[in-house]
Formats: sequence, structure tokens, C-alpha cells
Amino acid sequence: MIEAVPVEVEKNYLTEKQGVLSWFLTTDHKRIAILYTVAVTALFFLGGFFALMMRLELLSPRNWLVSAETYNKLFTMHGIIMVWFFLIPSIPNTLGNFVMPMALGAKDLAFPKLNLLSWYVFMFAAAVTVYALFRGGVDTGWTFYTPFSTSYSTTYVVAAAVGIFISGFSSILTGLNFIATTHKMRAPGLTWYRLPIFVWSMYATSLILVLATPVLAITLLMVAVERIFQVGIFDPALGGDPVLFQHMFWFYSHPAVYIMVLPAMAVVSEIIPAFARKPLFGYKAVAWSSIAIATLGFLVWGHHMFTAGTSVYSAMVFSFLSYCIAVPSAIKVFNWAATIYKGSISWDTPMLYAIGFVGLFTIGGMTGLFLAALGFDVHVQDTYFVVAHFHYIMVGGTVMAFLGGVHYWWPKISGKMYPEGLARVCAIVVFLGFNLTFFPQFVLGYLGMPRRYAAYPEEFQFLHILSTAGATILGVGYVAPLLYLLWAWKYAKPATSNPWRATGLEWKTPSPPPAHNFESTPVVNTRPYDYEAMKEELDLV
Amino acid sequence: MTAPRLSRRTYVFAYLALLALTLITTLIAYLNLGVWSTVIAIGIATVMASIVAGIMMHALYESLLIRIIVSGGIIWFFFMITLTLGDYISRGWLPVPGK
Amino acid sequence: MSDPVALELREQFATPEQQRETASAGMWIFLMTEVLMFGALFSAYTVYRILHPQGFALGSSEMDILLGSINTAILLTTSLMMAFAESNAQEGNERWLAICLIAVMLLGAVFLYVKFSEYIEHYHEHKAPGFWFEDSSPYANNVQLFFVFYFIMTGLHAVHMIIGIGIMAFLLFRTWVGSFSAQYHTPIVIGGLYWHFVDIVWIFLYAIFYLPGLHR
Repeated sequence: MIEAVPVEVEKNYLTEKQGVLSWFLTTDHKRIAILYTVAVTALFFLGGFFALMMRLELLSPRNWLVSAETYNKLFTMHGIIMVWFFLIPSIPNTLGNFVMPMALGAKDLAFPKLNLLSWYVFMFAAAVTVYALFRGGVDTGWTFYTPFSTSYSTTYVVAAAVGIFISGFSSILTGLNFIATTHKMRAPGLTWYRLPIFVWSMYATSLILVLATPVLAITLLMVAVERIFQVGIFDPALGGDPVLFQHMFWFYSHPAVYIMVLPAMAVVSEIIPAFARKPLFGYKAVAWSSIAIATLGFLVWGHHMFTAGTSVYSAMVFSFLSYCIAVPSAIKVFNWAATIYKGSISWDTPMLYAIGFVGLFTIGGMTGLFLAALGFDVHVQDTYFVVAHFHYIMVGGTVMAFLGGVHYWWPKISGKMYPEGLARVCAIVVFLGFNLTFFPQFVLGYLGMPRRYAAYPEEFQFLHILSTAGATILGVGYVAPLLYLLWAWKYAKPATSNPWRATGLEWKTPSPPPAHNFESTPVVNTRPYDYEAMKEELDLV
Repeated sequence: MTAPRLSRRTYVFAYLALLALTLITTLIAYLNLGVWSTVIAIGIATVMASIVAGIMMHALYESLLIRIIVSGGIIWFFFMITLTLGDYISRGWLPVPGK
Repeated sequence: MSDPVALELREQFATPEQQRETASAGMWIFLMTEVLMFGALFSAYTVYRILHPQGFALGSSEMDILLGSINTAILLTTSLMMAFAESNAQEGNERWLAICLIAVMLLGAVFLYVKFSEYIEHYHEHKAPGFWFEDSSPYANNVQLFFVFYFIMTGLHAVHMIIGIGIMAFLLFRTWVGSFSAQYHTPIVIGGLYWHFVDIVWIFLYAIFYLPGLHR
């Protein structure tokens, strides 16, 4: 008689502990990543709803859906939610939180409790901001330009500013945690040049989070003080200078663009070598270009202010520096292209998103150079050209990479695969919908359609209808992955530990990983992206 | 690398130097030296801050990482103040109103 | 007997040394965010002082140099006490560690007392910005701007002092329950870094608010 041997089920981070409290009191970076994912997804769809309302309003040259005042609130809340409550935490706090400690071969981040604290701070900040929204919203634009925000607006500016101020602490805690982790928690043998580019880029992102966010915090504090006491900090009548607000605001908010796009580059740098079966071309150049972007990103903020009354000489310096930052960005694009060249490419969903990212980021980056040119900028300042430019970077860049990264690491996160065919269709729908939404906006802007207007001359209607049609397609492309990924969490077939045959330490542990990531601390003695060595191994098997 | 250890003697010397510098900077401030008054006041404050950071916080004896972090913070502060002041100082250089 | 150092080792670290260095790096990174935060205010102050030199000189002349100097000396003394606290911790001398921490807290409280009495004085002289602000000079608006920065920057510094005293109270509690030894006293060092940094901020605040008004 054969004795029944109980099947030993390996505990993983999802099954290690049960119950609601085990999630809300967890210090496991993987669970916190999932908490963040739920939060930013909800906020993304809230911000997306505002965008949809705006696109519907713009179907007609006249106000037909909402009043001009409501429209002002719509674009403001869209901007605030998307920038501070989706784009900035999106990749670092979800995928970064989940993958980075594993990519380092560490058991957790350096400060797990701070990591959990940062989530609570983030949720509190989001609650305050959403409160401002439901009390009647804000109409200053996400930029809070003075003196409108401090002296004239009658909406809930202080509440929104406080929400963003608090979310800044969450950013700082995350950045601080990532920097300390990268320096101090690497597995034995994992030298800087053996790190995946994902870690390099997250590190560069964290530098910006830590160095820029405090300036935003203090700027918004000054806006709140000025608004409450009317003491003239930014009021020219009392000796203040509104342009100083712009200096301080953009000292944060321009680098913030790189907080959004560097993590996207991080994800893409992982996906492209894995699906082209080739080592990343020019590894060191790509690694250092992340640091270069993080540094140069702090020196270009004046290009937002060419028409605001800054001096000509200052504008010339900022224009020159803005051109300089194209160099490290281009280094990355060329190296991705060289990695794909003569690779054995497989067109899985993450790769579709990554390729889409490279194309859209290039368009967004190139139009950025137009805007850095002093003459051309005066022509298109505050038009849809600018809107299209930064949506190509933020939606075409960051959101595409976020979706690509979610699909790429989905097997690791959930332990399940996702429906590949459906996902590929969705990736293509997102790409087409995106271009249909935002490409017409370049034309609109060039023709002179200013941003932030609820009504417009009739000759622009055709392009606006194209854009709204694209937004509808894009909306479908965003809802569908949410639905099928939720389905896959429960019903899809289980994933192996390394379904993409990718390099990187996170693939050397089971899917989903155990609570402490690795059975034993890994030791690294190979270069990163060693797909040639992997090929030989697989050939031997 | 073990934690840096400094003797109490070193701390006392640093403290006395800081008190002396406070006295000096206050006395100098009574003289009207024009723009140099500000330069000297900020200069002495920087020296005092360096003593606190270098000895009291023993940054001078810390690892390369800590020293890089500290220089990073200072360099980024200079990025901010240099480029901001650059705008304000160069306004009016061009004989065109508003430029 | 369990090893006190091993007891304090968090699970994500391999060695106590790694834990100590990480904690120290984390605190220094945090302090750099503070540099940038105060730095932003410092930059804004500098811009306005360049734009309105007379108003800022008039505003600064309202400062009480005696109280300012005394406060500077008090803060420098707390730094020395904090450094001594660390030396005592390294030697495992818990009694003197506790005494030094108490000295830091008490002197910190004296600093705050002096600071707040200065605030009250400014308020009575109608120099607190807002609708109760009064100034008869032609540069009244600029004097008000000076006081806006004075209150925001010293106020923020005072908030940091209050947090610092809270940290000292927490460290004192942990000393009292016997958490620290010659082998393990990282929180004392980390808390000390914060305290010294707040001291550095004051050194600059003294230079930009109190000193410029001394010569007329």
C-alpha cells in the first residue's frame, strides 16, 4: 500500500499570510507594490474620466456639455490627478517596488517600514486631493500659476496644494529608500556594471525625487501662505514677483517629467533585450545616460518660461541646455535600436508596447527640441502643440511602458500568464488610439489652437473630432487590459519561474516569489543581459 | 568601515571655534562694508556650517558615499540659486523694455 | 544571553555593519532633501533682497541682535551636548548619555522660548505680516516681504526644533529601557545628525536675518 504523501505547497508572498490586516500592515515590498498598483489604477481611471469629459466637450466648437468654468476644473483635476497621483508614482512605486529589490538579490528594500509609510502618506494625500475635487474642484491648471492661484481663483486651491504637498513626502520616502537600497543592498558580486538598466534608471529617478520634491513642497507652501494671508509673496502690487513662482515650480516640475519617463526607459531597457535575445547594446552608455538625464534635467526648467518675461540671456542659456539633454535621450534610443538590429525578435505583448514606446518617445522628444528653440516656442507657446508634445512623452511614453512592464512582470507578480492574443490586440489598439488622439493636436497647435479653451473656431472642429474618436479607442484599450488581467489573476494558466527566458535575478526565483524573495542569497558572477551565454545553455539542454 | 570616533577634545575645540566665529561675524556686521558685509556674513556662516557638518556630524571622516551625498545636495542647491539669480541679474542688460 | 547587536539586526540586512551604514546613508539623503527645501526659501529670499535692498535692510534692523546671538550660542551648545551624547553612547556610558540628551532637550526648549518671545514682540510692534502689519516707511511692502520670509523660515526651523526635541525624547526613552550599548547605538548617531543639521540651518538664518540690519 502506498501511503498518501501530502503535497507540499510552497508558500509564496501571496499565500504566506492571510487576511486584510496582513495586507494593510505588511512591510513586504511586493505586497506594498500591489497596494500601490490598486491605488494608482483607480486614480488613473479617475483622471482618465476627466480627460474623456474634456474630449466630449471639445466635439463641438461651442460649450454643449459643460460650462467654461467646469471645463477649467476638468483640465485642472485631470492634470493634478494624472501627474501627481498616477504618473509620478506609477512605475517606481509599483513595478519598481516589486522588481528592484529582487533585481538586486535583496530580501527587501533598505527601509521596509518607510515603504509602507509612504503608501499611507500617498493615500492620505490622494484623499485630501479628491476631497478638494468633490468640494468643487480647482480651476488654476495643474501648474498653479500665480497670481491667479493666489489672488483671483475662488476654488479649493489650498486643499489641492496641501494634497500635493503631502504626496511629496511619499515621493521623498520612496526615493530615499531606493537610493539607500541600491547602494547598500546589492547581492554579493553584483557590481554597478552588473546591475540591470532597470536599477540604474530607478536610481536616477530616485535622485530626482529626492532633490526636486522638497522645492515643490515649499513652493506650494508659499502659495498657501500667500493665498491665506495675502502678504505679497507673489503679488507684484506688494513687491512680489509671479515669475519667481514659475522658477521654483519648474525647478521641480521639469525634472518631474524625467521622474515620469526615466522609469519608462527602465522598463523598456529590460523588455527589448529579452525579446530580441541580444545583450543590451552600449550598456555603459545607456546606464550613464540615465544619470546624465537626471542631472541635466535640473538645468533646463527655464524653457517653460520663455514668454513669461525672463531675461533674454537666461532664455538663451536654458535653450542651449535644453538641446543638451537631447543627447543622453538620443543615446538611449539609438542603443535600443541597435539592440533590436539583427536580433531574433518575438512579438509578444511587452515587446509591442516597448517598440511603441521607442517610436512615440522619439516623436515626443523631437518635438521637445522644437519647443526648446526660442523662436518657434513663441509661436506655439500655450497651444495644443505643447499638449501633444508632453502627451507623447507621458502617455505615449510612460503609460505604454507601464502597460508593457505590467505584462512583462505579470507572470512574476501573479504567478499566472495572461491571454496573449487578446493582449497583443489591445497593445495595437492602444498604439493606434493614442496616435489618433494626439497627432491631430500637433496640427491644431501649429495652426494656433490655444490650450485650455472649452470653445474654439469652427475650422478646428474636424481635428478635434478625430482626437475625440482616438480618445474613445484609447479608453477601450485601457479598460480591456484591466479586465483581462483581473480575469487572469484567478483563471489563467500558471506561469513558470521564467516564462520569457529573461536574464535578471527576479527570474531566478519562483513565480510568485516566496516572502523573502530567494531561498538563499544569490551570488552574481556574470554581466547583465547575457543572452548569448543563455542561448548556449538552452542549446545544451 | 566602522563608525568614525572623535575625541571629546576635538568636539570642544570645534565648539570654541564656532563660538568665536559667531562673535566675529556679529562684530563685523556692525561695519558698513557695502556688498562685502553680505559676502563676509555668508562666508563665515559657511565656515561654521562646515565645522558642524565636518566634525560634529563627522562628515569628514565618513565613507565616500556619504561625502558624495553631501556634495550632491550642495551642488543641486547651487544649480537652483545660480540659474534663478542668472535670470534676475541679467534682466535689463538688453536695452529693450521687458527683456 | 543573546547578543544585543544581533537582536537589533533587521531581517533584510546581512550584517550589523551593513545596517548601520544604510541607516546613516538614509539620514544623510533625507538631510539633503532638507538642504533643497531650505535652499528654495533661501533662493527666494535672495532674489527679493536683490530686488528690494532698502526694505530688507529696514526689516532686518527690527531684529534683536542680543536674543539672536544668545540663541545661536544656545544651539551651538546643544550641538556639543549631542556630540558628547554620542561619545558616551560609544563608551556604553548610559547614565551620561541620558544626561546629555536631557541637556539637549532643555537647551532646545530654551531656544524655542526665546524664539517665541521674539515672535510675540514682533507681533506687538505690528511687524507680523498680514492685515495687522503696520510700517510708516516708504518701503512698507518690502519690509513686510522681509517679515514673511523671516516668519516662514524661522518658523519652519522652529518646527524642525520641536520635531528634534521629540526625537530626543524618544531616544531618551530607549536609553532608559536599555536599548543602547557600546555595540549598538545607531539611533543616537542618526538622531544626532538631524539635530546638528537643524543647527546648521540656524547658522544661516542668523546670517541672513539678524546681521544685515546692524549697520545703517
